[in-house]
Amino acid sequence: MRIKEHPILGTIKKGKKVKYYYNGTEMEGYKGESIAAALHAEGVMVHRYTSKLHKPRGVFCAIGRCTDCVMIVDGKPNIRTCMTLLKEGMYIETQYGISGKEVWQ
Amino acid sequence: MAEYLDRSSDIGKLVAMPDDDMIICRCEEITKGEIRKAIHDGMWTMTEIKRYTRAGMGLCQGQTCSRIIKGMIAKELGVLPLSIDDNTARVPVRPVEVRVYGKGIN
Amino acid sequence: MIRYDVIVIGAGPAGLSASIEAAEAGMKVAVFDENTRPGGQLFKQIHKFFGAKEHKAKIRGFRIGEELLAEAEKLQVDVHLNAAVIGIHDFNSIAVVENEQVSFYKAGNLIIATGASENMVPFDGWTLPGVIGAGAAQTMMNLHGVLPGKKVLMVGSGNVGLVVGYQLLQAGVEIAAIIDAAPKIGGYGVHASKVARTGVPFLLSHTILKAEGEEFVTGAAVVEVDSKFQPIKGTEKHFDVDTICMAVGLSPMSQLLRIAGCEMKEMGGLVPACNEYGETSISGIFAAGDVAGIEEASSAMVGGRIAGAASALRDGFIMQGDFEEKYKALKESLNQLRQGMFCKENRGKTDMTATEEGIPLSNSLLEKGYLLEKEIIKFPGVKKKAGVHPIIECTQNIPCNPCQTACKFNCISIGENITALPVVIEDSKCTNCGMCVASCSGQAIFLLNEDSEDGFVSITLPYEFLPYPKKGVKGIALDRSGNRVCEAEIIGLRTAEAFDHTALLTMKVPSEFAMSARFFTL
Repeated sequence: MRIKEHPILGTIKKGKKVKYYYNGTEMEGYKGESIAAALHAEGVMVHRYTSKLHKPRGVFCAIGRCTDCVMIVDGKPNIRTCMTLLKEGMYIETQYGISGKEVWQ
Repeated sequence: MAEYLDRSSDIGKLVAMPDDDMIICRCEEITKGEIRKAIHDGMWTMTEIKRYTRAGMGLCQGQTCSRIIKGMIAKELGVLPLSIDDNTARVPVRPVEVRVYGKGIN
Repeated sequence: MIRYDVIVIGAGPAGLSASIEAAEAGMKVAVFDENTRPGGQLFKQIHKFFGAKEHKAKIRGFRIGEELLAEAEKLQVDVHLNAAVIGIHDFNSIAVVENEQVSFYKAGNLIIATGASENMVPFDGWTLPGVIGAGAAQTMMNLHGVLPGKKVLMVGSGNVGLVVGYQLLQAGVEIAAIIDAAPKIGGYGVHASKVARTGVPFLLSHTILKAEGEEFVTGAAVVEVDSKFQPIKGTEKHFDVDTICMAVGLSPMSQLLRIAGCEMKEMGGLVPACNEYGETSISGIFAAGDVAGIEEASSAMVGGRIAGAASALRDGFIMQGDFEEKYKALKESLNQLRQGMFCKENRGKTDMTATEEGIPLSNSLLEKGYLLEKEIIKFPGVKKKAGVHPIIECTQNIPCNPCQTACKFNCISIGENITALPVVIEDSKCTNCGMCVASCSGQAIFLLNEDSEDGFVSITLPYEFLPYPKKGVKGIALDRSGNRVCEAEIIGLRTAEAFDHTALLTMKVPSEFAMSARFFTL
């Protein structure tokens, strides 16, 4: 969910609309915002499942420290989505361990 | 900084706790029980815990769990947290892709 | 390798201030920051700052960030963004990752202003998506305009928890409760009060037990703790929340200083041992801001300036005499910020029972976040007067004085001592201009007109929520605890550039509620 009008910040300034893909589904976000923010606005909570216990993880610190929000971005795993800005046509996938597929050894 | 730890001192038996299966190191998914066991196995420094259990060795390099582990060691040993040395700070302090790191210096 | 006179690591309040000071002295300065935006945490701070005018009091944090940035740019400070400093090597050279490349830079002076990171406490389910740091909530809502959740449980009642809690309310998020394991609220009473009066309950001596949910947070369980912080059986409480926000303290991010080999000491985490100018045990390496010891952004800015000036002195860019003069003023400014009930010496003190003026401290404020009516009337900012007059519900000695200068009609006095409680001058004439209400960073000033007509009084209160209630609208007046007290009618809404997004809402309530009605809701 996005804030439409804020009592202090007014209308939140956004970059131009961009299309991206989340697990193959086309979605819309704004240029200049982090991948994590764009996904959160769409209600995506789970960014990855851990390799050992297969537990869900999402945004935790949002400033690049905790590395919990990593996902597979354009084929690369372990990308910190809170520090990586959204770009047109980006392909973002849920990360399972360090894989893009839900195959557990 | 850290006071000398007498390794021969008795810290008592490892008693199971109800929250032993709670995750402490989020990256490597190391539990409270595993870390407590490591302490009772004789791992009394942050560095030893890290090498013995991998806690703090994951992607974030102990950004979140170091402080918690420090408190845990102190509690098990019955000393103040400030008497436990931190993990060695090392370059790189931020995650860097090996591809970038290996490129050489600009 | 590119060489600068000064390299500043971290473009937050301390780093930017240091770079401005050094550049003003004529030094060639570069600032490195790993983020895409400079300003550190300032751009997430949408509240008005405390302090005096020289600390940029009553200006909102993000505007201070804009000011600092403009100043740095004007002085041609080289700001490197998306540039993570990954190491400090011999002879003050730093390794930076930028544009997918490791580069080295070197400088005669390094000023480390890397700030702090959030502490976390582990609990059952703390790895579930929906458990977030308070900083993450701020980033989401104030930088990206995205709501962190619909309903939040805030863990931690220090200033971070209170300020972020209020910001969540402003963004339209509901707060189930603010909990803290400590028996008393850790942050400023005024911050707690502005949250409490909207109806948010405080649960002190409570700790988080569990984040419930399979894939993400669907609820939270908390439990009361005894004086030894042990859970008390049978006191468990459940909240339907989708977000658990953690605000349990900060630790200095001092790895780079440790790598450089600076002598460190323990102060809520490792901090460098510095001299009074922020210089570490290694000549030419300085530390400023939270990395040198957790404080507020206001003191970080002053600390940054001192380190910047000291590096200029070290390399002969300013004369000893000029430096000393500058340092004296900056030190004085820093000392002001380090006074009062919440200063380092008083932190964790449990035996404080009265203000500097000798007025008993309110336990209700410390435990529930609001003052009782019988307590508030003892304070010098609360006087019964004819006509419109300010009621100042500022009851703790904190370093802050914008209200004194906001009133051009000398109704309010704090005096030389910045932590003194504001006094409403007996024989002064309030013009109902509202400047004091808007200038109070703690939103603790109200205008009361006790001689309104036919058994009703009017109360003007600071209001920072949307939508603004329209004139003529009838709603409910809430008391300091957020409880409903009576019906109220909005008879005025004032906004002005000088108020800087604090609207002044005037409501009409029956006169018996003059001293209890402090908030309005529909």
